[in-house]
Amino acid sequence: MPKNGFPLLKLPQLVLFECVENLDVLEILILSLLSKRARKVAQLNRWNISEMEWELGYENQISLSTPSDPCRKWIINYDRKNDTSKYPYFESELTGDYVKHYLFQNNTENNIEEMKHIVENIWEVFRAPIRYIKIFDESFIEWLLKFQPTILSLWIKEDVITSFETLDRIFKNLKVESFDLESIKTDKTTKVMEPIPFPYITVQNSYWLTLPAILNGSYTIICLYGSELTPKDINTILKEWQMGTKLQSLLSLEICTVTLLDAESCIREIYKDLNLTLSDRKDENPTIGNIHDENIYRRAQEKHRTLNLVRSDGTIGSITRSYTVDKYRKNAIYFRLFVW
Amino acid sequence: MSSTEQGTSSAAPAEPTTAPESAAAPEVPESFYYVHGKDKVVHKVSAGALQHSALIHGMISNLGYTEEQAKANPFPFENIDGDILQMVVDWCNQHKGKPTPPEDTNLPKQKEKLFDLVLAVNYLEIKELLTYCCKQVAMMVKGKSPEEIREIWMIPTDAEDEAAEKEAKKRAGKEAAGETAAAAGDAK
Repeated sequence: MPKNGFPLLKLPQLVLFECVENLDVLEILILSLLSKRARKVAQLNRWNISEMEWELGYENQISLSTPSDPCRKWIINYDRKNDTSKYPYFESELTGDYVKHYLFQNNTENNIEEMKHIVENIWEVFRAPIRYIKIFDESFIEWLLKFQPTILSLWIKEDVITSFETLDRIFKNLKVESFDLESIKTDKTTKVMEPIPFPYITVQNSYWLTLPAILNGSYTIICLYGSELTPKDINTILKEWQMGTKLQSLLSLEICTVTLLDAESCIREIYKDLNLTLSDRKDENPTIGNIHDENIYRRAQEKHRTLNLVRSDGTIGSITRSYTVDKYRKNAIYFRLFVW
Repeated sequence: MSSTEQGTSSAAPAEPTTAPESAAAPEVPESFYYVHGKDKVVHKVSAGALQHSALIHGMISNLGYTEEQAKANPFPFENIDGDILQMVVDWCNQHKGKPTPPEDTNLPKQKEKLFDLVLAVNYLEIKELLTYCCKQVAMMVKGKSPEEIREIWMIPTDAEDEAAEKEAKKRAGKEAAGETAAAAGDAK
């Protein structure tokens, strides 16, 4: 340790507090990583970092944001492939009103463990929970269960889940608002009858999710791709919804599935015994809010004919669907219900 | 006190160092006070300049010295190095009766000097100068890597901290044993 430095940790507490006040988020974070004593000093900061997003896989980065300045983000990124001798280094990027402050770290083999350490530090120093995590490795599930079992948004990448036991463990032990699940790597015969206990679900390759798992859940938004639900199942969902007995909080339902039925039979099956009316409010499609209420978007006017289904309490559900034959001669249905 | 009211430099004047007169001199004759640091060199400072220091200002208000009494009893700041106290006095004189600018570029660039200045300013309770100093401390690490920050701010690793703690405990244990032995010797 050179003698001509500034012994920061020897300053009185109040002075340290004022010094830390003048540090930026990434500087505070770096300080907290230097030692346990330095972390205590870093904890004197008054930054109101409310959100942490952790993306792993294509982009390995942790982003931090504050509600008082939504145009500013601090990002610790591991994915640059520049000259490794440069790391770590800072960079800032201004796009319109948005400023991103980057700390680029060397992308080494140990960066996952290092990132876990950084995330834990962020929690200790800024009291900021993880709002969103995108994971690509099964080991993270156990880590997440211990570290933060309540999370707003969880995205699990393709083939991370290799057993239904793991999936069950997630459903039983994590509290998630928005759940995105890419394809799972399990035996194709197992089906899940129990509902997913999260309100917003997007499931790719959702062949394993059965009708009872859909009907008995308390979902707000359901997006199922690669589903094996039949036109008759969709008809049952609509009937139950219309009666007001199931899926009472549903706002949006999207199902992509395949059928052996031809287009006409398929449509007849979906709409069987339902009292549908043709939508006469083409200019007023339902407004769907996403879970963060940030990007409320208005659905563009549908190309296909929109049908309305009125629930017992007067709530209207608008239905659109498309039917295509793909190159494998499979008849694909894309079905959507929006509630407004 | 052994003060001889010497000036600041080796070619010190016989009289105490006097603050530069402000361009807008007050109509009422200004009162002056005297301070000295570890080096015993006495600095004559106007009450207006000393108002920056909450500590000295409080002392002045409580004492109600006449100028003669003030001259005879300089405020002693034995914990502040002479050159650091000189910096503080200069700063107070420069900013006497003026609104403080958002930046101050005259702070020492040497890190050890800045450390001593921060401690002195904190002790003397000069809020604006402390704010500048703390900004300067933060500026030291702008754009620096973690290892550079460790070096600049002299932050030991956890292992170094633990070793230092062990060493301190060992020393304290030895000292306690020495005291016990001495006490036993005295009792005999």
